[in-house]
Amino acid sequence: MMQTLEVKDLSKEFGGVMAVEGLSFTLEIKAGSRLGIIGPNGAGKTTTFGMISGELKPSSGIVKFAGERIDGFKPHKVCRRGIGRTFQIVRVLPELSVYEHLLTGAIARKFSFGLGVDQQREAERILKLTDLERLKDVVAKNLTTVLKKRLELATVLMTRPKLLLLDELMAGLNLVEIEETLKLLRKINEEMEIALIVVEHVMKAVMELCGRIVVLYYGEKIAEGSPREVANNEKVVEAYLGKEAKNYARS
Amino acid sequence: MKNSLREVAKAKFGIKKLMGLVILLIVLLLIPRVASNYIVYVMILAMLYAMLTVSYDLLLGYTGQLSFCHGAFYGIGAYTSALLTLKAGLPFWVALPISGMFTFVVGAGVGYPALRLRGAYFAVTTFFFGHLVYLVILNSYKLTGGPLGLRDIPPPEGFLGIDFSSMNSSYYLILVFGILMVVFLYRLVRSGIGRIFIAIREDQDFAEAIGINTAAFKVLSFSISAGLAGLVGSLFAHFFRLLHPSTFAWMTSEMVVIMTLFGGAGTLFGPILGAGIVTFVLEVMRFAPEFRYVIWAIALIVVLVFEPKGLIGIIERIGRLWRKK
Repeated sequence: MMQTLEVKDLSKEFGGVMAVEGLSFTLEIKAGSRLGIIGPNGAGKTTTFGMISGELKPSSGIVKFAGERIDGFKPHKVCRRGIGRTFQIVRVLPELSVYEHLLTGAIARKFSFGLGVDQQREAERILKLTDLERLKDVVAKNLTTVLKKRLELATVLMTRPKLLLLDELMAGLNLVEIEETLKLLRKINEEMEIALIVVEHVMKAVMELCGRIVVLYYGEKIAEGSPREVANNEKVVEAYLGKEAKNYARS
Repeated sequence: MKNSLREVAKAKFGIKKLMGLVILLIVLLLIPRVASNYIVYVMILAMLYAMLTVSYDLLLGYTGQLSFCHGAFYGIGAYTSALLTLKAGLPFWVALPISGMFTFVVGAGVGYPALRLRGAYFAVTTFFFGHLVYLVILNSYKLTGGPLGLRDIPPPEGFLGIDFSSMNSSYYLILVFGILMVVFLYRLVRSGIGRIFIAIREDQDFAEAIGINTAAFKVLSFSISAGLAGLVGSLFAHFFRLLHPSTFAWMTSEMVVIMTLFGGAGTLFGPILGAGIVTFVLEVMRFAPEFRYVIWAIALIVVLVFEPKGLIGIIERIGRLWRKK
């Protein structure tokens, strides 16, 4: 049976403000499954991630992963079901070295008192994949933001996710770094068969990476489709640029 | 090449460390042979404080949870053990593990609700719990003797011809327990459990996001730390043979925090050093009982302003300078 992530009528209310309202989408867990979520600031993208990953409890609606309802689960339980996430504001373990991060990830996935050869081998493999090998012994607080983000991703990969939620992984990266990250994400998706959902403001990256894009605007889904469809959607252009700007562009 | 050099340096440092430990152990073993009874008595107090502080380091230094009730667990262990021997007539060797386990369970019972709070909220909650324990001990006249305390607590039963009522054998008994506790904690913080504790200390939300049940592991850390404090309490009760509630008032909890920070939290060795130095200086300054706490407050602030890692941080700094030369 194909595993899927199913989000149905998901809503979140913060004291009368609907941050997300009636959001539905599905995503199959397989190679080539790459979904982008875009929208202006405050559209509810990070809130959506919060609800899927268990950080926030939905006000209503359902999140189903591989046939099981996971909405309202604690974050660590969601992670154990196979959904990994990175944070909008990068999170690492400041005093630990890069290598120690990966070992911590391995222990978080499967508890053990000591460290087996398997875990060390897996850590080496992920280090190579994310190109962090030569920084193995560097303490995380001494890394640049870009490298911290990659380390965060590497640590999450150690928990063997089936689905990754990436919150603005590309923010603050230069063009070369974006290219590298895109290559890495494609590799993760195609070789490791980990499905991706990315929230991103760097349009070029989303358009290149994702086969399908969901557009949020004030908590509601206003469009869904291929990058080309979304880019040409009137509502989307309006949401991003405003009505006047659109009229101005027309005239 | 650079890497291998570093490894050689590391190995050398390992040997130096080991030699340091052996020398320290020999000195500790010889003290009762050469020093006066008074020095041995102060050493015992220092070791008890060191054990109390090092058990607290697991919670503050490795799991990153600041609490102000370690003295309360110390007291619970001491009174449990004393009452089990006095009223239930159990031998010390049975009362000791029971009081440790009982304190562990109390720790879990308190930690489970309290650790839902974070940071300062958790710290304040534990402060009031600590005070509550003190008030309960103070006011349960029938059980604990209230402000009169408990007297005539039996010393540990001797075996193999060793009489534990003497100062010197008490010293060795507590030294053995101290070494066992340090070895246990050293192994624990380097195990998978330790890794998880450290991950929680570094970033609780991230730890949770990579699949760590932070709530459960925080309670585990709190309970282990409490249980060890209970064991130290039991040792204290049967060495001192006299218990008074004020020993377990908030000042003790505070001193444990101060000793840990002063020595360097999250290093195990630092808190031991901190506890040792603080105990000795407090003893030397007995002529000015109130003034010495003022000096401590100032010393703590000075150390932490210059080096947040405490004494261990200062020692490391000196070591680096020395190596550069």
